[in-house]
Amino acid sequence: MTKSQGGEAITGIQALQGEGVHVSQGFWADAWERVVKRPGAIMGMAWIGIVSFFAVFAPVLASGHPLVMWELNAAGERGAMTSPLLQHLSTTDWLILIWSVVCTIGLVLPLGIKRSRKLAWIIFLSLQTVATVIVAAGIKGFFGKRDAADWARELEQSDFFIMGAAALSALVCALFFLLAPTSRTIWKRAIFVTIVGAVSGITMFQTWETPPPTFQYMQRERERKIEAIYTLVPWSPSQRLSDRSTLRLEPGNSAGSALAETLTIDLPLMGPIGDDGVADVLSGIDRLPLQAAEKATAKEEFRAWVEGARTIQTEITSENAGDALRDIMRPFGRSFRVGTDTLGQDVASQMMHASRLSVSIGLVSTGIAVVIGVTLGALMGYFGGKVDLILYRVVEIFMAIPVLFMLIVVAGVLPRNTYVMMAIIGCFTWHFSARYTRAEFLKLRNQDFVQSARAAGLPLRSILFKHMLPNGVTPVLVDSSFRIALAIQFEAILSFLGLGPVDQPSWGRLLSDAAGDAGAFAPWLAIFPGLAIFLTVLAYNLLGESLRDAIDPKLRKARV
Amino acid sequence: MAEAAAKSATNGEPAKPIMRVDDLAVSFDNGRGPRIQAVDGVRMSVYPRQTLAVVGESGCGKSVTAMSSMQLVPMPPGHFDRGRILWRGSGTEIDLLSLNDRQMRDIRGNDIAMIFQEPMTSLNPVYTIGDQILEAILLHQNVTASEATEIAVESMNDVGIPDPKARLRAYPHQFSGGMRQRVMIAMALACQPKLLLADEPTTALDVTIQAQILELLRELQQTRSMAVMLITHNLGVVAENADVVCVMYAGRVVEYANVFELFSNPMHPYTRGLFASIPKMLTRRDRLVTITEVTDDPKQFEKLPGASEGVRPWWPWHTPPKDMAAADGPAGDYYLQEVSPGHWVGVWRTAAVHDHESRAPDLTYRIADDPAKVSLRPKAQHVETTVTGA
Amino acid sequence: MAAYLIRRLLLMIPTLIGITFLVFMLIALSPGGIGAAQRFAGGSGQSGVDARAQQAYLEDRYGLDDPAVVQYVRWLGRISPLKFGTRDQRDPAGTIIRSPKPLKPIAMLGELWGTEDDLTAPGEVEPETLSDDSAVNNATYRKASGAYLLARLDYIAAQTNLRLALSTWGTAQGIRGVLNNKSKLNESKLRGLHIVEDGPVPQAVQDKGLDAASTYRDAQEAVIQAYERAITSYNTAQVQRDHLANVYAAKPYPQVGWSIIPGVLSLGPPDFGTSSSRSQPVLALIKTALPVTVLLNLIAIPIIYLIAIPSGILAATRAGTWFDVASGAMYVALWSIPVVWAGTLMIGFVANERSGLGWFYVAGLNSPEADGFAYLPSWPNGDFHRGFMLDTLLHLCLPVSCLVYAGFAVLSKQTRAAMLDNFSADYVRTAKAKGVADRVVVMRHVFRNSLLPVITIFAAVFPAMLAGSVVVEKIFTIPGMGKLVLDAINLRDRELLLANTLMIAGVNLLALLLADILYALADPRVTYD
Repeated sequence: MTKSQGGEAITGIQALQGEGVHVSQGFWADAWERVVKRPGAIMGMAWIGIVSFFAVFAPVLASGHPLVMWELNAAGERGAMTSPLLQHLSTTDWLILIWSVVCTIGLVLPLGIKRSRKLAWIIFLSLQTVATVIVAAGIKGFFGKRDAADWARELEQSDFFIMGAAALSALVCALFFLLAPTSRTIWKRAIFVTIVGAVSGITMFQTWETPPPTFQYMQRERERKIEAIYTLVPWSPSQRLSDRSTLRLEPGNSAGSALAETLTIDLPLMGPIGDDGVADVLSGIDRLPLQAAEKATAKEEFRAWVEGARTIQTEITSENAGDALRDIMRPFGRSFRVGTDTLGQDVASQMMHASRLSVSIGLVSTGIAVVIGVTLGALMGYFGGKVDLILYRVVEIFMAIPVLFMLIVVAGVLPRNTYVMMAIIGCFTWHFSARYTRAEFLKLRNQDFVQSARAAGLPLRSILFKHMLPNGVTPVLVDSSFRIALAIQFEAILSFLGLGPVDQPSWGRLLSDAAGDAGAFAPWLAIFPGLAIFLTVLAYNLLGESLRDAIDPKLRKARV
Repeated sequence: MAEAAAKSATNGEPAKPIMRVDDLAVSFDNGRGPRIQAVDGVRMSVYPRQTLAVVGESGCGKSVTAMSSMQLVPMPPGHFDRGRILWRGSGTEIDLLSLNDRQMRDIRGNDIAMIFQEPMTSLNPVYTIGDQILEAILLHQNVTASEATEIAVESMNDVGIPDPKARLRAYPHQFSGGMRQRVMIAMALACQPKLLLADEPTTALDVTIQAQILELLRELQQTRSMAVMLITHNLGVVAENADVVCVMYAGRVVEYANVFELFSNPMHPYTRGLFASIPKMLTRRDRLVTITEVTDDPKQFEKLPGASEGVRPWWPWHTPPKDMAAADGPAGDYYLQEVSPGHWVGVWRTAAVHDHESRAPDLTYRIADDPAKVSLRPKAQHVETTVTGA
Repeated sequence: MAAYLIRRLLLMIPTLIGITFLVFMLIALSPGGIGAAQRFAGGSGQSGVDARAQQAYLEDRYGLDDPAVVQYVRWLGRISPLKFGTRDQRDPAGTIIRSPKPLKPIAMLGELWGTEDDLTAPGEVEPETLSDDSAVNNATYRKASGAYLLARLDYIAAQTNLRLALSTWGTAQGIRGVLNNKSKLNESKLRGLHIVEDGPVPQAVQDKGLDAASTYRDAQEAVIQAYERAITSYNTAQVQRDHLANVYAAKPYPQVGWSIIPGVLSLGPPDFGTSSSRSQPVLALIKTALPVTVLLNLIAIPIIYLIAIPSGILAATRAGTWFDVASGAMYVALWSIPVVWAGTLMIGFVANERSGLGWFYVAGLNSPEADGFAYLPSWPNGDFHRGFMLDTLLHLCLPVSCLVYAGFAVLSKQTRAAMLDNFSADYVRTAKAKGVADRVVVMRHVFRNSLLPVITIFAAVFPAMLAGSVVVEKIFTIPGMGKLVLDAINLRDRELLLANTLMIAGVNLLALLLADILYALADPRVTYD
């Protein structure tokens, strides 16, 4: 208020004459302008951007497969060059990569299309990608099941199966783009249908059978059979420590004995153990998150083991053993920048891959909830009466029990995979948006523009979704940002409780490894995944706050 | 009887305004736009037992003027730019705007009371009527709770609420709109204020209730000899109730005169426009004259006395005349000029005006004191005119 | 008000039925389903025929071979305080005894082998006269029920055996899928086939060679034997059942509840069944767990209100100042901290003695030795002794702080928004015009009106708290409802899970009702008449 106290003030007349009046650019453009002025919103969007980047590019950023690999012949000369990483990308990875590239190009290139139109295109392309990914996963999941029906088994054996599956996914693409009002002429649409269908069909066809992952690159490198260049984080999320062994820091299992146990399994495969290597390990023990007494025992046990091992291995040099041991020992070692979990899997890699789960769970489950909620809420609000009475009882049933509790129960009894998780979070949180929409529609249905739309004889679909929805959907949209944050929290909590998807790494599951029963505590597992969840949730909450402040005029007035 | 009382009052003491608004300017912060000047250089005065009607369209600054005198303008976004509001509660004049919060609270509700436009929302829904009236009494009068209850009952009785004792325990939502406005008036009058600010007290009520409330106000004004500042945009209400009328436009006073002078001889084109737009009985018309039809007509601006010398009615939609002799200070382009005795009109501060600075608007006129006009007031005969105080 | 309360309480019934139905169906329809649940709980280590017999026994015992809806209605009948039919009886140990379940006859598959006439029809046994002495009756009943249990078990085993034999026989002649993947008989596959003792081997089997033919003959022989055994055991079981039913009808034990219409409708205590994973009555488990969860919430909720409301008021009165901005930002941050993270960090850095400060306790509700403590703190011989209550409170510090911090944001923001809303209300202007001091205006007028949305938000805060305590209990290993629920899920304990769901929903609905009543008390405009 201090900004122009003495400065020029205008009268209402001047305002009427247009002086100092800000010309509105439309509701959403104005709201957006207000949103991007807030530091909270900017920070939130920046973090969401970072997480989304990892969600898209995690498979090519963190992988145990070398980006480039050369076979070496006996003389140590480079032979053929291959890229195991690309060969091991799944259909989903490919589709998402293609999608992101197309969207980036579409956003950056000045195609002479309006921004809103570009946005519509990107939304449709995203929906398309999601649909195709789900269909692909569904087909694969159904046929890959152990107790699949006989006919499914037979079908899978047939020569045309993969082709058929690819064609089916292409058909899904076709459906979306034919229905979408992306362009007026049917020819243009047909062209896009063909392009998108062909891309996803070919991608599916090409990647139907990814070779089962074996991570023997490091060993082969040691044997000088290959030469490889790895990506940023040279571990796949499911890749266990040195492919062969795990370091289990379980209760009752001291660090030294766990180490010895692990190393004994590896002994035949390992190179000779040199004094340097031993010294390396001993200093590694010093860096472990253990107490002094435990460290001493661990060192003692390790020395004893080395003695034993040396009697087995006569030839003793230093080089390779050091590497292998260091890998196992260090939570903050060279190879594991953020340490490993209790199974010896790299935390950094898992965190990158888990960002895809968080981003997609947040968006998809909220999308499901909003679609169900808005549709039912609109029906309740518009029709009132019996429809309202019956449907609202259903809403009350959903409201009567805490959402998180219900999710725990449901996730506990249903199969544990990503898509089921999305579906249940969506299906058990829809009543929030249904209530908002119902309240808005109850207000709207008696307003003049709705009455006149009805009087004009417009079809119900048009009245509900074209005339009423844009006016009544604002609170739902503002709320949905908070709902995304909540969905991410729910996923983290469910994963923490061991009810999360088993087919994907998850921040919540990593966090649950941090505290063992008998007082073992791994700070790197507590801090990093937890921080990732917290920041993502915070980002969506900040964005939601900014959106709400920008859109809700009542609050804006009160904030003066 | 009214005459006698009025005379005794006028003879007993020299007429001095109870409140004087002097060059008041209030502006509001407007988010990212420039500040909006809601009130700019307003001058007016109100005398004891006088009814000053402030007329104007929505947003012309009449409510802001009234609220300023109670320091009720929300700050921020509001801000007093300059001016004074002089209050003569007990002999000496004090500037209301310069009072601190504590001093102001002693005046609010005690010396100056206010009733508002929306009786439906102006009462706190979670407290009983009794609680709310007692709150004001206990704040300002040194009485016990039971005495305060008696005062409250009496006050409710005065405003015509039947069975006041029982009604003290009722909640606002159990009253109708008209009754709630009566409660508001009872609450405002419970402490015997010297000035009542009535901010469109009847706008939200239906027509029959409006008449009742206004009649009640008039009656109470007579019995309690208080001054009333009646803010309205209803010219009918003005004609029936006002002694002096102040017409405002765009944050400035455009015309100021006693009610008969103003109605018979409106000088500012805007005032004329206002009157022209009133539908008249016995005149058959297809459509009414709009205010802009009058104000858009250049000839209307020629009719002001002194127009030949260059005195032009101030009108914000016009470009200022060429012979401006604007003062350097704020609102220097405008001046409230007494164009004829007892008749002020807002004019451009041209050279002609610059030379003849007039006194600030100040009219002691009261219909109750005017034997020729008092009978013109409808229902004046019902008014019990015993003057108790003064 | 009373009428309103009764109406609300009655309306809870359909809601609770709806919730439990939803959960029940989800359990029933989920892959693995309830069958898998009980199998998981019961079957361990066995394989082949034994495992299948065990499974069949469990399915029979828990009635899992009925359609899910029938099972649900049966469950509902058990927990309903209103009971239809004759009243149940209760033995001295407190176990509810119902009349014996009818036997399901063997699928005779039409003319495959034998006819329905070979089976004993129910009710063929003559009712015997029983003595008037209840002690004698008790003994008779116990004997009869033991005999029936054995006979029924034998019959179920015979039935399983028969199914397997039929499956083998089907495979021998090239018919696959006689048993579906839940080991149920797929009758349509065998329709139209006949077994004749020592009958000819079908041509198709003969074509495959001598081995196939002999396998077929063996399988056929096995089927015939299985049928004979099944029929015999069925008949025995049927006789035993009729006998037991007769003994039961003589009411050997006292009946439960109160009769409304004798023999048709009665009022009885709800029976939540027995937990299959812990072999204890579910009600007893809940009785020990529910108070813990309620205690957690009863401590946490006042803390939230006591901190959030004053800070919301302060933020509103100082809207736009650093306090407002900072408290707002802090609350959003707190709100965004996932409870699992907060819990893990607290355990690791505050409670853990090795990696953290070791200030509080990592797990449980009491120290192991707390049972011997006096209740209140005491100073025997000058040494401080913390006592049971303080011990519990110390254990609760971290769980409660995990539970409260997220609630601050919601409540304080709501208070702030409501206050700001009311600041611009007309009656505030009226109060100011009366000369009421600003602070009085804030507390007496603005805050009093802002209470209403604050009470309403209770309906959003409480469910979240209740669910949050489930997670918190898991993190801090507190033996409350949350731990019970997670155990029930992990051990696939259907009865426990359903009862827990019902309890949580019930507590939640009661809390929401309380919020509505408080609202009516706070707002004179709302009346529930």
